[in-house]
Amino acid sequence: MSKFTNNFLAPSHGVELRNEALTLLSSLPVPTRRNERWKYSSVSKLINASLETYKGGEVGIEGWPKEINPNPVPQLEAYRIVFRNGVYEPTLSELPTFKGVVCMPLSSISEEQSKTLFSNKYHKTEWVGALNAAYYQDGFYLHVSKNIKLDRPIIVHHLTDGENVANFPRHFVRIDEGGEAEVVVWTTASQDSSGMCNSLFEASIAPNAQLFLEKITNEEGEIYSFAHDFIIQEADSRFKAHNFTIKGSWVRNELSIVSAGKGTDTIFNGAYLPCGNEHVDNHTTMDHTYPDGTSSELYRGIMYGKSTGVFNGKVFVRPDAQRTNAFQQNTNIVADRGASINAKPELEIYADDVKCAHGCTVGQFDLEALFYLKSRGLDENAARTLLVEAFIADVLSSVPNEALRNEIKRLYSERHHWS
Amino acid sequence: MLKIKNLHAKVGDNEILKGLNLEVGPGEVHAIMGPNGSGKSTLASVLAGRESYEVTEGEVELDGVNLLDLDATERAREGVFLAFQYPIEIPGVSNLNFMKAAINGKRTHLGLEPIKPKDFLTKVKECSSLVELDGRLRDRSVNEGFSGGEKKRNEIFQMAMLDPKLAILDETDSGLDIDALRVVSKGVNKMRSKDRSFIVITHYQRLLEHIVPDFVHVLSEGKIVKSGGKELALELEEKGYDWLK
Amino acid sequence: MSQTEEEKLIGEVTAKSYEFGFTTDIDSDTIPPGLNEGVIRTISAKKNEPEWLLKWRLEAFRLWSEMEEPEWAHVNYPKLDLQSISYYSAPKQKKEIASLDEVDPELLKTMEKLGISIEEQKRLSGVAVDFVMDSVSVATSFKEKLGELGVIFCSLGEAIQEHPELVRKYMGTVVPQRDNYYAALNSAVFTDGSFCYIPKGVRCPMELSTYFRINQAGTGQFERTLLIADEGSYVSYLEGCTAPQRDENQLHAAVVEIVSMDEAEVKYSTVQNWYPGDANGLGGVFNFVTKRGLCHRAAKISWTQVETGSAVTWKYPSCILKGDDSIGEFFSVAVTNNMQQADTGTKMIHIGKRTRSTIISKGISSGHSQNSYRGLVQIHPGAENARNFSVCDSLLMTDTCGAHTFPYIEVKNPTAQIEHEATTSKIGEDQIFYCQQRGIEEEEAIGLIVKGYAKDVLNKLPMEFAVEAQKLLTISLEGSVG
Repeated sequence: MSKFTNNFLAPSHGVELRNEALTLLSSLPVPTRRNERWKYSSVSKLINASLETYKGGEVGIEGWPKEINPNPVPQLEAYRIVFRNGVYEPTLSELPTFKGVVCMPLSSISEEQSKTLFSNKYHKTEWVGALNAAYYQDGFYLHVSKNIKLDRPIIVHHLTDGENVANFPRHFVRIDEGGEAEVVVWTTASQDSSGMCNSLFEASIAPNAQLFLEKITNEEGEIYSFAHDFIIQEADSRFKAHNFTIKGSWVRNELSIVSAGKGTDTIFNGAYLPCGNEHVDNHTTMDHTYPDGTSSELYRGIMYGKSTGVFNGKVFVRPDAQRTNAFQQNTNIVADRGASINAKPELEIYADDVKCAHGCTVGQFDLEALFYLKSRGLDENAARTLLVEAFIADVLSSVPNEALRNEIKRLYSERHHWS
Repeated sequence: MLKIKNLHAKVGDNEILKGLNLEVGPGEVHAIMGPNGSGKSTLASVLAGRESYEVTEGEVELDGVNLLDLDATERAREGVFLAFQYPIEIPGVSNLNFMKAAINGKRTHLGLEPIKPKDFLTKVKECSSLVELDGRLRDRSVNEGFSGGEKKRNEIFQMAMLDPKLAILDETDSGLDIDALRVVSKGVNKMRSKDRSFIVITHYQRLLEHIVPDFVHVLSEGKIVKSGGKELALELEEKGYDWLK
Repeated sequence: MSQTEEEKLIGEVTAKSYEFGFTTDIDSDTIPPGLNEGVIRTISAKKNEPEWLLKWRLEAFRLWSEMEEPEWAHVNYPKLDLQSISYYSAPKQKKEIASLDEVDPELLKTMEKLGISIEEQKRLSGVAVDFVMDSVSVATSFKEKLGELGVIFCSLGEAIQEHPELVRKYMGTVVPQRDNYYAALNSAVFTDGSFCYIPKGVRCPMELSTYFRINQAGTGQFERTLLIADEGSYVSYLEGCTAPQRDENQLHAAVVEIVSMDEAEVKYSTVQNWYPGDANGLGGVFNFVTKRGLCHRAAKISWTQVETGSAVTWKYPSCILKGDDSIGEFFSVAVTNNMQQADTGTKMIHIGKRTRSTIISKGISSGHSQNSYRGLVQIHPGAENARNFSVCDSLLMTDTCGAHTFPYIEVKNPTAQIEHEATTSKIGEDQIFYCQQRGIEEEEAIGLIVKGYAKDVLNKLPMEFAVEAQKLLTISLEGSVG
């Protein structure tokens, strides 16, 4: 496997983690379909490509692709931190200067401090994770102090730009007790770009603190896009996540949430509407390890063209997590001949005083409803559009920020020619 | 017949009954009224032996038997019947099998043979006509998919089947429309006899127009604060509970 | 060398090795432990099997040798040493017992609770009885009646001798030798099993269970069942027994194959109550079974199972819905108590148009057990308008057990409609109190509630077994109040 990483360069910060990951990288198996976690998502084409990490510096607005706005949601009043091919772009960013909030590129963190940040084990268990930990160029660091509420959302924008580029954004967020923040992670790639974007996001949410996280993937080109999000929630904390795949040739989103304190509240929703030959995979894990937690998950997808969708949702309720209330729903529509969905909602329950349920459906558009709409004078396309919008409205409507919600909807409309 | 002396009970750390005294003679109907949170439903649960309620002090005797020494099953077999405020659904268990298990449980307890199928069916017919419970409901799973009124009628049907000494009706009128209330009350009235006593717990005076009590008690903050005849109910209807405090 | 010459030569060589290598073993009941080609040849020879079957077994052995024991199931157990098992024992005469007094009283108590007649208690515990005239005459009259209709129902060994064309045509067509580790092992070393053929248009007039119970004294460790329902026929088949089955064999790796031809219907019911081990999880049977049915046009296969036994169960009765308009059903109650582990469910493979499947799975976990549902619903591109409806509920009795749900849903056709629902909940304290208030004791209340919970599945069992199965549920959960 060393061939694959021949042209990868490991920067000189975060050395301790990097060295550990580099060692593990040689022993961890490259994912194959024989591995349950990768049963429906093949990376064989990727590992035969010859990729390179970007070794240049910042390019500013001159070097930035014209068709992509560095500020992806202009209507949203937000802070912004921008990366191109893994490299921080200070002139395109607008970091918060807010009392009690520290926000900077991860590469600016001292070596001493960087050792204390990440607690996820992804680099120890997965080849993909070890790649990120070994070769990450930079990322986003946010620390919100006790009882501070950051006044605006922060958009973290990473762009893959160029052919056969490998980039590895790595982000860390810590919200102290009673603090609040909203983070939007926006992943793009320019036209004709190719390669891999392999990102990791870890957030640690202290007691009674709150984090909203919205993740949007909107990539042109041919990118293998891996995202692993790891969230630890302490007692009474709130976490609300949304994941929207607008466009991307091969997307794998992993969201892993650990409820590590009593009474946590977790909501995570997602939508995926792949077209053509796109592949979108959502793997979520909700791990209740403490009592009295609630979690609610809703993922909806429509598979068009010859696309494939994957949904794997795991809910664990550990022996001590009594009175957990966990709900999971996954709803799919296979819209065209040639499209497919592989869904696997899982419950693993080791406590008895719990209420857990999941539901999973696969179907087609409601023909009765379609007929009803047509009988009122709508044409086929308009009627379908209406049904699609309604289908994902439940996911979209829970996005707390209106400007963001509108932009996501606009992007979907543009892509799918909704009127 | 039923003697309650200085009864104290709590749920968790929360003391709800704080020295309740009540005597119910054979054939008497006692109504217990009181504002929300006064301990009415707690009294019903404590008498029936629900485990989450802890009796910290006092005595409860039924015909000389100390009820507090018995678990819920034994009390039921001694003749205590509780008509639940919110009857429980038991999916897949037919109403009739449920009753058969209950009757035979009691009969075994008394050293009797299980009831003969013919006798059982005769009894079912008698008792279901009492509350106009049709065959469809008898054969369905216990309370599953029943409307509020059907559930309450089913409670009275079960009461008739089990022929208790002491019947406790916990808010049996709540959620009932007038017609259903009339049917339920008619069933109860038919079951009144010189050997059977009733404790009727209610928030509304309305029920007592149909099931006319011999005595009315007002429960407030875990104690009986006033007792009287049926006219007390009317007074409460007019004045509310505040004047008693 | 031409193909046939080569085969001939191999035939000679192999025959010789058998002639000289294993002659000494032929007369003994058991061959030494271990598994190799020679052992398979011996088994085949002892059973006087035709050449094609020997080849078939050897092919299975070759495939098995290249396989690894699967580890994906949600179960934990010490690896078995498959070389320490003896792969052939002639049906041993059971030690005769003079009367029921000598039988383990625990066993008798359970049988009594199940309502099994004294007569049958004796038979099941191996008590020597005078010929039970009733049973024999019943069996004979059954056999006559079935014979008149052309129904073939016999041991697989007998079928191989009497109806080799049928066995050869169908065996391995639904569960190929290479299917999985244990199926391959079974294909190589199966000792006996049952064979059933229902001719065209015949509606088998009786539950084959009845007959089965009378005739099947004990089932083998590597049992194999082949059931063929020809066009338009119907059969209801029951295997297993509610009576607790003690068995010295730790590993049971059975294979069941069903072929349901055009418009045929097969109802296959199982009650499994193998020894689950003691409360600490010592002993107990490992039950690794492969069961699968193939449905042709408008055919139907229903699997109904009540699983209460075995230390480790690994079992997914499946339907391949190949023919248009075919129907697959799976109804299951799986109870685990103490240290038991069960990983069971089904696979519904929709290939034909308008194929439909229903899955109802009710898990009940108690003690320190782990109970998993694992299912696959697969819709192939050509399966227009396929439908699946699945409900997987889990009931937890204690705070030390586990209940898990792993459904796989793979859809490659836009007209499919799949609905899967699963819930996990604790047995309701309110329900128990309600029963108690009506004078029903706690244990009995739990029994009632559990039976009610499992009713949708129990109702699918043949009448005669539904009652016993209900009792079995109660007995399996005795003393498991959470």
